[in-house]
Amino acid sequence: MTALAPALPTPRLVRAEVLKLRKRRGLSVAVVLMTVGATVVTYSILALLHGVNPAHHGPAGGSDNLSHVIWLLSALGAAAATLLGATAGAGDLRAGVFRELAVTGRSRTALFLARVPGGLAVLLSCGAAAYAIAATASVVLAGSFAAPSTTDLVAGGFWLVLSVSVYFVLALGLSSLAGSRTTPIVALLAWRLALMPILLSMTFLGSGRNVAPDAAIQQLAPHAFASELQIGKLSMATLASALVILAWSALALVLGAWRTATRDT
Amino acid sequence: MCRRAPAPSVEHMNTNRISPHVVEAKGLTKRFGDRVAVDHVDLRIPAGSAFGYLGPNGAGKTTLIRMLLGLTPATAGEMRLLGHPMPAGRAAALARVGAIVEEPRSHPFLTGRENLEIVAAAREPEAHRRIDGALARAGLTSRADDRVKTYSLGMRQRLGVARTLLGDPELLILDEPMNGLDPAGMEDMRIMIRGLVAEGRTVVLSSHLLDEVEKTCDEIAIVDRGRVVVQGSIDELTGDAGTVLVATSNDLRARALLDGRVLESVEDGLRVRAADAAAINRRLVEAGIDVHRLEPERVSLERRFLEITSRLEAAA
Repeated sequence: MTALAPALPTPRLVRAEVLKLRKRRGLSVAVVLMTVGATVVTYSILALLHGVNPAHHGPAGGSDNLSHVIWLLSALGAAAATLLGATAGAGDLRAGVFRELAVTGRSRTALFLARVPGGLAVLLSCGAAAYAIAATASVVLAGSFAAPSTTDLVAGGFWLVLSVSVYFVLALGLSSLAGSRTTPIVALLAWRLALMPILLSMTFLGSGRNVAPDAAIQQLAPHAFASELQIGKLSMATLASALVILAWSALALVLGAWRTATRDT
Repeated sequence: MCRRAPAPSVEHMNTNRISPHVVEAKGLTKRFGDRVAVDHVDLRIPAGSAFGYLGPNGAGKTTLIRMLLGLTPATAGEMRLLGHPMPAGRAAALARVGAIVEEPRSHPFLTGRENLEIVAAAREPEAHRRIDGALARAGLTSRADDRVKTYSLGMRQRLGVARTLLGDPELLILDEPMNGLDPAGMEDMRIMIRGLVAEGRTVVLSSHLLDEVEKTCDEIAIVDRGRVVVQGSIDELTGDAGTVLVATSNDLRARALLDGRVLESVEDGLRVRAADAAAINRRLVEAGIDVHRLEPERVSLERRFLEITSRLEAAA
């Protein structure tokens, strides 16, 4: 007699999620371009400009340029996270494969939860590679500029992980809830790239803006890079920021898990 | 059951199951708004057989299967799968069930083998070891590492069957498994299903291909408008029609000789009501009439199916 299938995802389920995401060529290429590709292109251009005209263009490295790249990576990384999250959330369902998985008797909650580490593994491996390139370039190519400290580099890396992971979780939850890949992608990209900057710059909204996940993410940005990332003048305690992020993430996961468990397939 | 299997060879045969039935449904009902898709179905499927679940399109076959597999909740009624109450015992029951519901679906960008790995990951660890065997059994070994988007419809169907074997199932539920298969593929599928039954597994086959079901199954249930209207063995439901087709050297004399037993003239002879074909033969020969053809007629499943469903239609 077989033991009851556990409700928690097994490493095999997580590896299966990684396989499904990694083997989507278009998605993989897009994610690599938005992370590693964007970093390489940015530093190549900065190095080229400095090489061609050092009097007008400073060295490619240094702390300030790293700030710009971190800002770029947080925006493009969020877009990549949205693509990955939405695909992880709705890919099986749209292909009709979710039914094939559900009839194995495996807990649907376990099937849903496996998407979190599976998707993050793909996303963060690309993000880590991109940040490693950026961090290395910021030190090696610093020239006359001040190179970022090790503490700043580590803090910047952790903050990037946080900012893209939140978007992955939001996209995963939304797409699992909606049973669609396209709608959450459009909604989250529109939010992240257009609505959020407008909302956060509306000073008359005051501290009401703090409930937006992006406001909380920005509040947690490392001080060394904060000037580049802050939009509007917001003030929120670190704990409050963490709670806002946790609340949004938990809400997305709970809704996604609930819909996955109760959906007619 | 004329084609009952020899000794079972399923790895995880549930020896603790008290009931001899792998599926038991009582008063099972599913409503979609005002429409009743499955209407108080009582069903018992014996273990170790090939069971056909027959009905016209829209009769509620797939809805019943989806309820049995816990894919959609029942509006009313009770059901047990391999002795486990459903949906409460879903995990334990489905661990030993392989199923294709409607058409088998796969990720087209993955290979056949990778698609099986995805499903094996959701099953017990031993499922990975069964991938090669399942591919071989489905005749897909040579194409296992090709992407599914390059597969024909028949190959996708066979990949679906391979997927059902990963859990070493006691019970296979195959919804229209012959769809998309050419005649040779249908023959292979029939042989495979009989092979699975010969190993002690139970195969439930939902289909509208009556000829294939008749050739493959031991027992059937006919469903119409959500209700099971008849259930029994193939032999009980088909069998002797009580008529004999007779072709002779002189049909006019034969008709006179057999008098009121001739039901009608057919294309090349006479349809005669008779329980004993040999007696008819003897009587004709003794009268000096040569007998060219003497064929006891059987009621085909198709004829029985049409009789039942058209009778219900007329009653409605």
